[in-house]
Amino acid sequence: MKFVRQLGISALALGLGAPFAGSLQRTQQRGLDLDSIARAINEGSDHVSARQLARWIRDRRSGLRVIDVRSPAEFHDYAIPTAENVPIDQLAKAHFAPDQTIVLYSQEGAHAGQAWVILRSLGVTQAVFVPGGLADWREEVLNPRLPANASPAERAQIEDLSHYFGGTPRIGGEQGGDVASAAQIGRGSRRRGC
Amino acid sequence: MNDLLIAGGIGVAFGWALECAGLGHPPKLAGQFYLRDFTVLKVMLSAMLTAMLGVFWGGRLGLLDRGALYVPETYLLPQLVGGLVFGLGFVLSGLCPGTSCVALASGRIEGAATMLGLFAGVLLVGLAFPAIEAFYRSTPHGPLTLQRLTGLPYGVVVALVTVLAVSMLAWIAKWEARR
Repeated sequence: MKFVRQLGISALALGLGAPFAGSLQRTQQRGLDLDSIARAINEGSDHVSARQLARWIRDRRSGLRVIDVRSPAEFHDYAIPTAENVPIDQLAKAHFAPDQTIVLYSQEGAHAGQAWVILRSLGVTQAVFVPGGLADWREEVLNPRLPANASPAERAQIEDLSHYFGGTPRIGGEQGGDVASAAQIGRGSRRRGC
Repeated sequence: MNDLLIAGGIGVAFGWALECAGLGHPPKLAGQFYLRDFTVLKVMLSAMLTAMLGVFWGGRLGLLDRGALYVPETYLLPQLVGGLVFGLGFVLSGLCPGTSCVALASGRIEGAATMLGLFAGVLLVGLAFPAIEAFYRSTPHGPLTLQRLTGLPYGVVVALVTVLAVSMLAWIAKWEARR
């Protein structure tokens, strides 16, 4: 009985000491933390390039969730493989686990940036967005321009990534036909769940 | 593989602790519902207290990465109904999933019957899932925690839960001494 009492007193001491130990990691709390938002923007940790996102999807990065914040109609038309559709007005109702990496994208990037701020205000700190949205995805992943002075290894990497998502790299400068094919992919083709 | 071995070791230790506490014996567990035996409450309260203080201080002292812990999402209504079904099965069989494994390991036929019912239930829910999926995903509240619900700092929530749990354990000890 004496031992049990000692255990109880120890538990009480540890519990009552908790408020004074400070919080190492507060759980998700609502409200805008303007300092941390400004810091994330300054450091560039608020966004990820379309090409990096493509690598994460290809490598099946653990805990990755790609969120398309456009309308269901736009999402149905074309979406980044593995993406799920959570329109921006539904974002506050969505739930994100702390161990997930959330990547937001929209058509051009503006809405994704706003969605990022919404998630930060909801306490979701593990989110990033693609600054150029689907336009970047087409330019950097589906139809990337291969630099004329790139090494063979660099070119192979870009080509492999593009081919993985069903794209066609462009060589050198502007090529009207390829731009047209990029637009066509954006509108018509859907290669989901690669 | 290492994680599986560690999990297996923790599982065996947990089962051993349950058996030591007498929780492989169905009448003892059912006694909780009739307020005759408070062993279940004592085991659960002390386990929750130990885990909570371990996670808090482990995180605070850098021994544990709290970000690696997964908080299951709350779906209020379906989980409330699930809790009632679970409670009904608990009081009927005198065992819960963990203690049914312990009872089976101790050679009790009730343990085998409860585990059979458990797997039958899992199978039925799996088969019926397309029909009940809408209800299953209704009233979502995300990873809901006491600190998110109350807005209180984590440490204060830990202190309040500790005071509550220790008070209840002390009250149960006094009540048992009086009997």
